[in-house]
Amino acid sequence: MILTAGIGLRSAHVAEMEARRPRVGFLEIHAENYMSGSPALAALNRLRCDYPISLHGVGLSLGSAGALDTRHLARFKSLADQLDPAFVSEHLSWCGTNGIYLNDLLPLPYTEESLDLFCSHVDQVQDGLGRQLLVENPATYLRFRHSTMDEAEFLRAVVERTGCGVLCDVNNLYVIAQNFGFDPIGYLDVLPASAVAEIHIAGHHCNAADGYPILIDDHGSPVSEPVWALYAEAIERFGRVPTLIEWDTRIPPLAVLLAEAQRADLLGYA
Amino acid sequence: MPDLDRLQRLICSAIGGRHEPQLLALIEGGGLQPEARLQIYRNHAILTLTEALKATFSVVCRLVDERFFCYAAHEYIGETLPSRPCLAEYGESFPDFLASFPACRELVYLADVARLEWAINLALHAERAIPCDRSILCTCDRALTLHPSVQLVASQWPIERIWHANQPDGDNDAVIDLDAGGARLLVFWRSDRVVINGIEESAHAFLHAIVQGARLSAATIAGRRVAPAFNSTATLDFLFAEGLIVSVQ
Repeated sequence: MILTAGIGLRSAHVAEMEARRPRVGFLEIHAENYMSGSPALAALNRLRCDYPISLHGVGLSLGSAGALDTRHLARFKSLADQLDPAFVSEHLSWCGTNGIYLNDLLPLPYTEESLDLFCSHVDQVQDGLGRQLLVENPATYLRFRHSTMDEAEFLRAVVERTGCGVLCDVNNLYVIAQNFGFDPIGYLDVLPASAVAEIHIAGHHCNAADGYPILIDDHGSPVSEPVWALYAEAIERFGRVPTLIEWDTRIPPLAVLLAEAQRADLLGYA
Repeated sequence: MPDLDRLQRLICSAIGGRHEPQLLALIEGGGLQPEARLQIYRNHAILTLTEALKATFSVVCRLVDERFFCYAAHEYIGETLPSRPCLAEYGESFPDFLASFPACRELVYLADVARLEWAINLALHAERAIPCDRSILCTCDRALTLHPSVQLVASQWPIERIWHANQPDGDNDAVIDLDAGGARLLVFWRSDRVVINGIEESAHAFLHAIVQGARLSAATIAGRRVAPAFNSTATLDFLFAEGLIVSVQ
């Protein structure tokens, strides 16, 4: 059982992490950054003696209409077998089709067609890995007119059909609730609480370049106060779920991430 | 209503910069218009792929300055999107793109510097492999498999000196004579870092033949075509000492 909040392991912090071994609940890595023999993997193998690992995929493209990339799934499995992570997660999204990868988490229409396809891919990944997958709600900037259910209902259906868990990204939820104008508390209430096994919180920024303010999930700043407030609502419903401080751009000193993780811990104990 | 496959093709096309009116009609309006919403995804793709190229081709970026690099990257991304999920594997054809990019025509060495940086990237991310001992090599004529990190680079320009001078700790004031001769380089992973080793043209020809699957006798002939006195022993000693031979068939 992981009792304290974790941080994303970033290359700028590896040396300090190795030297200081600060108290932090777990380390999360992006799987696609470790699928080779790079020195990063050697450092991670040293650190995982002291920290549980959360393996977070960004390239399995579970929502792609075509077949899953079995070569990529095999590399993912090889890494998971080597690291024996506490959690394995991916996104409710797709990132490419027909041999193109856009390095982004692209939105799905929430339809029965998408649900059948997404569930079959989650089944394939869970069977292939021999592990439960946590599926994360993405930050999205557009919605499709032909969706027949909302995102929380879709995610709940995926859990019911596949037995996967949920990685509830509270920042992503806040971002889409602001961008599309709905109540994020209602979204939390639809999620199956017992399936939520990890939470992400991060920073975002507001882009008003087109004359219409829209929040962008850039993971490049401290967690905002409204997101902390929504996080408190989430842990009230889901319990003290292992929580990750995500910070991917404009990386600050390690101490800043550790302070954010400590704040998440304190909220969890409140 | 398009099916999911068709919808995703339309989105990829739109993010690639094409106008897709059928897609726009499928996106909810309200506040920000559908085209502006797609532009957020376009911007993200350009930004993250440009950053990936900058990370791999940092010396090229320094040589042309960051603004020009972003322009070149933007044009390249418009032609070539990633075909794999790992960003470190994106950019294989960027050196060829630079070679034919009119705006770079006067920087005759630029594409070869990019080829060296791609070779370094491959060596850095290559799978690690267990080397074999020299004792396994008997007198028979054998074919060798080199370590996955081994890369060969050849250029008529002094690209190794250019690369070193443009490292963070390099000699930024170095004056490099472009007519001082080219480079034949062996790039490989050594325990904790990538090594760039200058080699003779004959050794380069020998190794190139080995990589192509030639047996030792044929590879030696390839080396001797360049330098009649070429002897493979010193090159083989170096390869075994560095752990760069992983199998002998």
